[in-house]
Amino acid sequence: MSVPTQKPVRKLSMKQRYSALTHDLDWPLSYVEEDDAFPYTKFEGIKVHDWSKWEDPFRLTVESYNKYQAEKDRRLYAVLDGFAQSQGQLSLSDASYMNAMKIFLQGIPSGEYQAHRNFAHLARYLNGPGARFASLCQSMDELRHAQTEIHTLSHYNKFFGGMHDWNKMSDRVWYLSVPKSFFDDAGTAGPFEWLIAIGFSFEYLLTNLLFVPFMSGAAFNGDLPTMTFGFSAQSDESRHMTLGLEGIKFMLEQDEDNLPIVQAWLDKWFWRGYRLISLVAGMMDYMLPKRVMSWKEAFELYFEEQMLNGLFKDLAYYGIKPPRDVEWAIQEKEILSHQVYWILYQFSHAAAFTTTVPNAQDQAWLAEAYPETWPIYKSVVWDKAQKVMDEGGRYFNPGLPQLCQVCQIPMGFTEPGDPMTQCQRHSIYEGERYDTCSDGCKWIFEREPEKYVQAWLPVHQIYQGNCGGPTLPDVAVWYGLEPGDGGEYVGSMDQLDWAAWHASTVKEG
Amino acid sequence: MQFELRTQVIEQRRKTFSNLVRRYGDRPASRYEEGSVDIQATENFHYRPLWAPDKELYDPAYTVFRLTDPYSFMDPRQFYYAPYVQSRAAMGDAFAKSLEYVDTRGLLQKLPAGWDALVGDLLLPLRHYEAGAELILIEGSRFAYGTTIEQACMYSAFDRIGNAQSISRIGIVYADGHDHALSQAKEKWLTDPALQGLRRLIEEMLVERDYARELIVLDLTDRLLYSLMFTHLDEAALMGGAGAYSLLAQHFAGWFTDQRRWVDHLIKTWFADEEFGEANKAAFNDVLAARWQQIVEAVGDLATAVEARVGTGAVAASDAAASALVTDLEALGLTVPGGK
Repeated sequence: MSVPTQKPVRKLSMKQRYSALTHDLDWPLSYVEEDDAFPYTKFEGIKVHDWSKWEDPFRLTVESYNKYQAEKDRRLYAVLDGFAQSQGQLSLSDASYMNAMKIFLQGIPSGEYQAHRNFAHLARYLNGPGARFASLCQSMDELRHAQTEIHTLSHYNKFFGGMHDWNKMSDRVWYLSVPKSFFDDAGTAGPFEWLIAIGFSFEYLLTNLLFVPFMSGAAFNGDLPTMTFGFSAQSDESRHMTLGLEGIKFMLEQDEDNLPIVQAWLDKWFWRGYRLISLVAGMMDYMLPKRVMSWKEAFELYFEEQMLNGLFKDLAYYGIKPPRDVEWAIQEKEILSHQVYWILYQFSHAAAFTTTVPNAQDQAWLAEAYPETWPIYKSVVWDKAQKVMDEGGRYFNPGLPQLCQVCQIPMGFTEPGDPMTQCQRHSIYEGERYDTCSDGCKWIFEREPEKYVQAWLPVHQIYQGNCGGPTLPDVAVWYGLEPGDGGEYVGSMDQLDWAAWHASTVKEG
Repeated sequence: MQFELRTQVIEQRRKTFSNLVRRYGDRPASRYEEGSVDIQATENFHYRPLWAPDKELYDPAYTVFRLTDPYSFMDPRQFYYAPYVQSRAAMGDAFAKSLEYVDTRGLLQKLPAGWDALVGDLLLPLRHYEAGAELILIEGSRFAYGTTIEQACMYSAFDRIGNAQSISRIGIVYADGHDHALSQAKEKWLTDPALQGLRRLIEEMLVERDYARELIVLDLTDRLLYSLMFTHLDEAALMGGAGAYSLLAQHFAGWFTDQRRWVDHLIKTWFADEEFGEANKAAFNDVLAARWQQIVEAVGDLATAVEARVGTGAVAASDAAASALVTDLEALGLTVPGGK
């Protein structure tokens, strides 16, 4: 090439090289208006003065991305193939462990997939090339997670109930409207709110609380595929955390007017995310045959210690305060899992997982993990449920629960400091009454009532005749439920098959 | 001595997920199918998008191109994430080897003058074309209805930003480890009349909200541009003493062959749809009516600029490629403005 008059002496640093390969690909548009090409970054009120101030959360080229990810997937799929070939499901701790994985498959891949689609939205519509490329990589990763989760659990689906129609169920079944409405809420918001909702609140604040219980649960219960998936996803997740953190810092540094908007989103999405993962609390404390740690311990470690005492101290520099309803959540850590699992227990005849009364060993663990609250729930709830079992019955709630208009969990949470009084709040909007489960959900409703009145509430929909028919069996068919999917664990197909497989092992051995 | 190996036979309750059994019957499914078919939510959406209150979060109405069943389109390459990244890791290795070969021997510094100008003035600016192509395709990943189509768009978008980075790496090697050739190329992209047709096309696609119309315009442009820059010039480079150009161009030509597989199949699937096939064809004709002339002129300007630097018969080759494309499109029953 023609030599420039003054040839630069130094070759490119890593940072310059990365910039040449990424940011510098952008150019100022002149045939169209920038606002027409990127029309969605103004309506939320976030002010950005200089997109070039975006600090790349990670420096990864397409070439290195493909290379690392290909290697990780080669290893992961080798484990999955080996596990299937050796009938690895036989060495799980117990068939009841699968209930945790049923909830995982029904609730998580569809969320990962939504994250994939909506990070693609950011990868197209954020004005800055650095922010777009980071979103593009995360969109790819999220698709990877959805697919590797499905492929990880595909083998179990062949042998256990509850997993076979996860995609239909995630669109229809009552408790799965909890994760679905969560991601729909974020995806229908603007790109900056999405970045706070998913990129920051979900992927940073709450991610350990969500994933560690599942992945450690897998490790403790002989579930090699899920554990391997978890490890394999970890390096992706750490990229996602840095993107979330850069996202919030970028907004806060661009303009001080952004602070109240970001704080309100943080308040909203902390509570939305916290209510969502209460399903994980119930799973952790009640559904794992071999337990890792209690919800309370996990909450203290991953949220109170790491986030409140760590992250939020750093964010205070920007004027960010801890989420508005955080005290309520802290107060609930003693009772949350008891309340959630009791809801799941009562309604598992209309669910795609099974539940049962905690056995003696479980009860001993619960008594130790929750010395203050377990005795109350034992006497008020489980001793009675056990008595029904002893008499040859099984308690299922014959009615349909009322759902919170925002988080969509059946009303089963209680007033702070009073675990015996059910908490119910309500708001009036355009002459109609809307009920919520907590101050947090009520506040979220009243911020955007025009959004939350649109919610597709499963129970309302059943009453309106939109779910296959008026009776529970009609609804179960419409949900895609088959025999062996839900109900009581003791005597279930999963339990009987498990016993038969192991009986034959003993005979042959 | 004899060993008897005994494996316990455990009966499976089912071969795959129920949605696939409903679609394809009771048979084992591939990982492509399990990870791609019916993954996107289709009903019971909770809220309308604040930025598109007339639509659902996932809605067939984001484009005028419709399929009765979105999963009538299946990627002929069967790409889900794992095989996709594995395929691209291999492509990346091959490109890196070629580039290293070119770099260690200083082949880009030894190009004949005309080819040197071609690389600096016309090839390197195309990294911006590729970056724009990424934005166009990622729109499909967000707005296509159904996972199989959007997934193919996603990988294609990732390919394009990868192509943009590959061209940029050529630029860094071309400038002996510096980035001034890239800065000059960007200036060309912004001001050189030979490139303004392409830039205008890309920019105008960024304000078009129908991902399928964007995809078609990009694809038609790609077909002419790749034919010129990476097929015609690949052969001409070998004759013209610019082996380095050929060595690098082959990777882009090879990638484009792969790209055409899914796009071609998508177009065929649109047209074969029993309910929407004719409407899709009409919608395609609308795109041709609106954009064909612009596309031919944009790539024609590039061909003229190529011809001015290396006398390879680029204009004639470009005209021939356009004419062949008209024949292909007419064979699909489409009407090309000014066609035969």
